[in-house]
Amino acid sequence: MLRAILRDLREHKVRVAMTLAAIALGACAVVASWVVSDSTIATLAAGTESREGVDAAAWRGDEGILSEADREALEDMEGVASARSVTAFRAGLIGPDGDLVGSTTPLDMTGTGWDDSGRFSLVEGRSPRAPEEIAVDRVTAEQAGIAVGEDTGVLLDGGHIAEVTVVGAFDYRTLGEHDADDAWVDPRPDVVFDARSAQEHTPGFARVELAAASGADPEQVSRDAESVVAGASAASATTLAEVSDEGQRDAARELRLSLLPFAGIAMLVGVFVISNTFRLLVTQRTRHFALLRAVGARRAQVRATVVVEALVLGAVGAVLGSALGAVLGPAVLTVLRPGEELVFAVSPVALFAGGLAAIVTTVAAAYGAARRAGSVAPMAALREGTGEPGGVRRGRHLLGAVLLLAGVAAVLATSSPSEAAASRIIGLAGAAVSAVGVLLLTPAFTRAALGLVSGVVRNGAGPATRLGLRNAARDPRRAASTVGAVTVGLALVCAIATLSATFASLIASTTEANVPESTTVVEPAAGDRGALVPAAEDPVLESTDVAEIAALSEVGTAMAGSDAMARIDHPGGSTRRVVSAVDPEGLGTALTPHMLEGEADLDRGVIMAETQADMLGLGVGDRLTLGIEGVDLETRVAGLYEATEMSASVFFDVADAPHELADRVNRVHVTGPDPQAARAAVEEAVGDRPDVMVSDRDALIERDVERQQAGFMVMNAMFGLVILVAVFGVVNTLVLSVRERGREIGMLRAVGARRRTVHRVIRVESLALCVFGGLLGIVLGVGVGAVMQNAMLGQSLWTPTVPVPVIATAAAGTVALGVIAAVWPAGVAARTDPLEAITAE
Amino acid sequence: MTTHAAVRTTGLTKTYGAGPSQVRALTDVDAEFARAEFTAIMGPSGSGKSTLLHCVAGLDTLSAGRVWIGDTDLTGLDDDALTVFRRDRLGFVFQAFNLLPTLTARENIVLPLELARRRPDPEKVAGIVDAVGLSDRLDHRPSELSGGQQQRVACARALVTGPEVVFADEPTGALDSTSSAEVLGLLRHSADAFGQTVVMVTHDPSAAAYADSVLFLDDGRVVDSLRGPTADSVLDRIKALEKAVR
Ligand SMILES: Nc1ncnc2c1ncn2[C@@H]1O[C@H](COP(=O)(O)OP(=O)(O)O)[C@@H](O)[C@H]1O
Ligand SMILES: [Mg+2]
Repeated sequence: MLRAILRDLREHKVRVAMTLAAIALGACAVVASWVVSDSTIATLAAGTESREGVDAAAWRGDEGILSEADREALEDMEGVASARSVTAFRAGLIGPDGDLVGSTTPLDMTGTGWDDSGRFSLVEGRSPRAPEEIAVDRVTAEQAGIAVGEDTGVLLDGGHIAEVTVVGAFDYRTLGEHDADDAWVDPRPDVVFDARSAQEHTPGFARVELAAASGADPEQVSRDAESVVAGASAASATTLAEVSDEGQRDAARELRLSLLPFAGIAMLVGVFVISNTFRLLVTQRTRHFALLRAVGARRAQVRATVVVEALVLGAVGAVLGSALGAVLGPAVLTVLRPGEELVFAVSPVALFAGGLAAIVTTVAAAYGAARRAGSVAPMAALREGTGEPGGVRRGRHLLGAVLLLAGVAAVLATSSPSEAAASRIIGLAGAAVSAVGVLLLTPAFTRAALGLVSGVVRNGAGPATRLGLRNAARDPRRAASTVGAVTVGLALVCAIATLSATFASLIASTTEANVPESTTVVEPAAGDRGALVPAAEDPVLESTDVAEIAALSEVGTAMAGSDAMARIDHPGGSTRRVVSAVDPEGLGTALTPHMLEGEADLDRGVIMAETQADMLGLGVGDRLTLGIEGVDLETRVAGLYEATEMSASVFFDVADAPHELADRVNRVHVTGPDPQAARAAVEEAVGDRPDVMVSDRDALIERDVERQQAGFMVMNAMFGLVILVAVFGVVNTLVLSVRERGREIGMLRAVGARRRTVHRVIRVESLALCVFGGLLGIVLGVGVGAVMQNAMLGQSLWTPTVPVPVIATAAAGTVALGVIAAVWPAGVAARTDPLEAITAE
Repeated sequence: MTTHAAVRTTGLTKTYGAGPSQVRALTDVDAEFARAEFTAIMGPSGSGKSTLLHCVAGLDTLSAGRVWIGDTDLTGLDDDALTVFRRDRLGFVFQAFNLLPTLTARENIVLPLELARRRPDPEKVAGIVDAVGLSDRLDHRPSELSGGQQQRVACARALVTGPEVVFADEPTGALDSTSSAEVLGLLRHSADAFGQTVVMVTHDPSAAAYADSVLFLDDGRVVDSLRGPTADSVLDRIKALEKAVR
């Protein structure tokens, strides 16, 4: 039996190749995601190779510093051979654009002094020797576009900018960036001065690194260190390395979890392609199976031949795909993390997971076809079939219709923007359920739509167009599973695009509603390093900066806002939200929250976003408690304003906020009797500072929209892969159908169709399938997107922002895909010999 | 030079493959098929009947020799020219699978005209449909027609362009005797009523009896011919040939 199957596979090379490719793509996606996450970790871990000669470290948390006396005390401890002090201070690297370069290190620890303890390994140039020389972290410099030999600026404590020359680039070996409590210990510095200059930038040391005497236990040393220096923390190098490894493993897991869904989607689309291929091959061999049945094969035996075939193909595809993924993963990572020295890790687990997923998917996808093969009647061997398809299954359509209706009902029932979180999830689930319903109903839609189109063009178009359309519609089930993949791909893109477009217009409209156009906004320069690498912490301005702005004569109001994550106790429970401490004076002038209910009067309590209040079940006048950094504030809801959920905040009087919070300012809204003059004055005063950004309402909107768009871009790139798999499915089906219809195409050639005509027939068929699948996907996507924006952004179900550019691109794209997908199959068809019609078996 | 013959071959030779496994399907065939007549090609299985038909109908290439249809030398045409020639000047009926399953009977009939972007002449189409006797089945798909009906649709399609020659390869091979009689009667009628030249391959003496003349092939060569055949005379000739071979 096995030999028969293998021979069969060998005889159908094209079919085998197409199926294998579909299987391999899925496995490849899984393995590649795995490899990307593993390699990311390995890369990070390579940077944390432990340093010789350091067995423990002591530091004082929260920007506290150690003194020379502390160092001496530590060195005098029993079991300590030597103690070396390490500085860390504010030394923000300024990029070619005059703004701070983004960093994963907190600004106040970006600078340090050079030493030859093994912390630095010089990769280019030399170490800094004079006050105006620095060495920079290689990756930071590369990403900022600063080369060795160039001049740049470094922002020091107090806003002073040092003019320096970059003389070297280094890679850093950290003891471990964090301790077990997530406090910073040894983050990678960006800027390194020579040791003496470094000491001038800071009064003490950030850390003392200890070498244990021979025989001493580093754990004991670090315990002792904590008692020798009051208020200090200490840990052994081993512990720090472990914490760091643990953190990296977590990061890997998280990255993997966020990548695998995309692999899952690729697999899902692969299922369409694989099951379609198997369906085709079973149809092709109906007579073969009937013959088997006629000579006495049981149903189960016939079914088993197909399952075994799937297993063989799945296994081979798994191997190919895993190998491809092991290559593709590193390639993707190289693109994602340019300029970094990467370490690639291909774990057996990854290969196994990808392979297993491929095999399971293949067998599952082939099972339907196997059942169909098993149910072929022995009589079919004798019948002279032209391969006309059976009807569309009723049950499938019934189920589809039920799911669609149930899903739509769930969406409608939960569509009020003021619904609670639980019912929003029901709404989203409803959208998913109705999407599945639509996919199940695709055969019916296909038949109806293509039938309609054929009817319309019946007289207008030429024979090639008509034949192509008829061919596309001849087997609605095959058409459905072909277009299904295209539909899923485009639906994903359009759903996300709708969500994203709605979000963007929401950002714009709410910012416009709440910030007067004339207001000037002063913010800390963000220094984003890109969407994939989170900044170390939100940069902040200081209260002195606010005072400086407020003191300008042109400025009437300078309203500082300080954000904090707070606990909100409300009658329904307790949640964590971002809250903003603001100066009540600025409300109504510099910042004008668009009030929907109540009043913008912070004396009476807090004002919060209406969407948030709805979710927390709060109304004007209701009591709530804000827990901010250990301080509990009993208050009431004074008013509700309009905001997006993601930009929503709870405003309260800065007078009620803890002092530490008021000192960390996230933004200042400025206006004055003459807003233009106020802006000019602010620009004049702080506009040149690399750590400060002066902007206005429109710039705010633009930046926020850009930032959120960047996140969606990554998603869309991933969905591009899905569409690729889908196109592949269309090519697959077309090539197989062309082969299956060789006799028919030969007949067409015999009665006088030129190769060009045959070419066009297949192209029209491909276009019809792709465009139909695409349109269905676009409609479905916008629908699901509407539900998503309704559920996730709290907007009305009926007013999503339709992403016209994306839809236009998608529509044009499906036409292009249809043409591209047809190239090969149409070529195969056009080469058909007219004799094939007559002489085929 | 014009001839009376609708189709003429000289030195037609067709070989398949190369080397020791080479098969000579036709050897140096000189044959003529008269205009406005119904000619049958007969011979034992494997004698090269189909190959001859394919070669003279421009469906297959020759290894050597020439084929004329009317004044056109088919050997000088490239694929596109040949295709257009087939479309405009020839008609075909094969043993089975003649029709495109996605088109209705009517659409199948007018397909060659549509491929040529010629507007079907309704009267002419109606005349042919009438002769074929399928007026009430025109909007059915092939899968909804019987084998005999399908072959009659194929005949109608072959006749609709008013071709110089209709070629038929065992058109009744898969039909029962009643349906066979209908199809053969139709081909006979087209020769009589429209002066249609018909060339038909068959191995059935009673089918050959419908023809004006019969050409006998054996082992890739023309071995005999007969005018005004009857089933009996054809059968006799075959028996005589078989003896001669032994
Ligand atoms: N495509 C082909 N390749 C090789 N040999 C062929 C091919 N087609 C026909 N033949 C051979 O040519 C000879 C004539 O075949 P054919 O014309 O089909 O005979 P008939 O129609 O009289 O039965 C046979 O020996 C057959 O095996
Ligand atoms: Mg034959």
